[in-house]
Amino acid sequence: MADVWRLIPEFLVLGGALVALFAERARSDSRVSAGIAAAFAAAAAVAAAVIGPGGDLFGGQLSLDHIAVFARVAIGALATAWLLWVWGRGVTGERCAEAAALALFSVAGGMLMASARDLIVLYVSLELSTIPAYVLMGYRRDDARGLEGALKYFLLSMLTSLVMLYGLSFVFGISGSTSYGQISLGAAGPLGQVAFVLVLVGLFAKLSAAPFHYWTPDAYAGAQAGAVAYVSTVPKIAGVVALVRLVGAMAPNVAGASGVLVVAAVFSMVLGNLAAFPQSDVRRMMAYSGVAHTGYILLATGAGTAGGPAAVFYAVAYAVPSMAVMMLAEEEGPALDDLGGLASRRPAVAWASLAWLLSLVGIPPVVGFFGKLYLFTSAVRAGFIWPVLVAVAMSVVSAGYYFRLIRSAFLGQRKGAPVVERRTSAATAFVLITVIVLALGVLASPVLAFLGMRF
Amino acid sequence: MTIGLAHLLTLAAMLFGIGMYGALSRKNAVHVMMSLELMANAVNINLVALSRFLTPDALTGQFFSVFSMVVSAAEIGLGLALVLAIYRRRRTVELDAIDELRG
Repeated sequence: MADVWRLIPEFLVLGGALVALFAERARSDSRVSAGIAAAFAAAAAVAAAVIGPGGDLFGGQLSLDHIAVFARVAIGALATAWLLWVWGRGVTGERCAEAAALALFSVAGGMLMASARDLIVLYVSLELSTIPAYVLMGYRRDDARGLEGALKYFLLSMLTSLVMLYGLSFVFGISGSTSYGQISLGAAGPLGQVAFVLVLVGLFAKLSAAPFHYWTPDAYAGAQAGAVAYVSTVPKIAGVVALVRLVGAMAPNVAGASGVLVVAAVFSMVLGNLAAFPQSDVRRMMAYSGVAHTGYILLATGAGTAGGPAAVFYAVAYAVPSMAVMMLAEEEGPALDDLGGLASRRPAVAWASLAWLLSLVGIPPVVGFFGKLYLFTSAVRAGFIWPVLVAVAMSVVSAGYYFRLIRSAFLGQRKGAPVVERRTSAATAFVLITVIVLALGVLASPVLAFLGMRF
Repeated sequence: MTIGLAHLLTLAAMLFGIGMYGALSRKNAVHVMMSLELMANAVNINLVALSRFLTPDALTGQFFSVFSMVVSAAEIGLGLALVLAIYRRRRTVELDAIDELRG
């Protein structure tokens, strides 16, 4: 048990969740819980960075390789940004303490999932990171729309995770072990292929990849944008890491494995980007654009182990600005036209949002461009020329709807816009996100080298 | 006739299929959740059977099924809480009536 200290970030997050839950006993304002939770999340991110890579833990059930370290730090930092923002803005109509605690529980699940190398650990941590997300989606008890969205999300998510579990049981049966190192599906022939596809169903639904994305727009449009900011980003990073690892363990001997991933990738990119175009609700637009971004990521996972670092990097490059856009949608209102006149009302936020949206389109010098560059490079190396051409074309299409947001913010007008209070902690969250977007763009190639990408 | 691995896997597959059919066709949210439970139990049978016949010395499958039971109990508890919250607002748990949101 000498390895236990390497799990200090997870312990910090779990302890922080309990402290946050009861913090309002000391202070009557429940927003303070989110502040405390943010401090714990930040400490966890720093601890994860300091502990660094550490090889296999607990007989190979967890593996703290470079990708796991990067994912833990990214999850911690993003959760910090979200909790800081909640500290400043609160949760409309409800108390903050439970939201902060739930988010931290989900962070603990995400951090464990990012280092899982065992099917049992993977399943338990996957559920630990998604179960709090259902509650966050239906957080307001008096809002029937939010509850409906949460129920739909819950039913579809549980259905697909049971399908995945059924697949995992066959993977265990074929390999005789739940450890990733001993999984070999090749000898089983068609049964191996069936198990592979069943497992992918669950992961695709969690990452909202086509054809299992139907729940996303409804669930996001029903929930508060502030909750979606968390649910659509942090668990997704962990999910991508889990997908990369699991595909790396299962795919090598399964015939047609990368074909399945590439077909799903192309469907997600085309469907997500075209469906995002006509939307007038920012939450719906971001839901469909999330489907499209998952498509780009699947393209790199189809490239096998070589595409893993680029996929994980892009997951972070997508999650960071998309969280900020959803926070902005919560502050200004969810309709596209609600952003009108943002540049004259809140110039600093408007210019920061320009950086976020350019990153989502993939324009240099921000992180999204480098993420896409390395993603497409690793896909081309694997021989996926046509899918990459589709992806590039779809990125151009995506510029269309992201620029509608920019146009609304800089050229649009809005009467009766809400007066958004100045809050230092919410502003800090935006600053943190913008700094990550700009700094990861500059540091893209050293970070990818750290993750193990071969240039 | 002795009961072998094939029988148990067939039983699990049938239960899983019945559960899947119920989850996709039922209109009542509580019925859907009961069908989901059926699927979860089918998976548990699968895990225990595979472990018993293929790796009898290690109890991996049994442990896996214990974890999966705990997780699905937690999920169903949460799901029923959501259904109760919706029932208080809407006085119905029929999924067809819950259609304010459309893809």
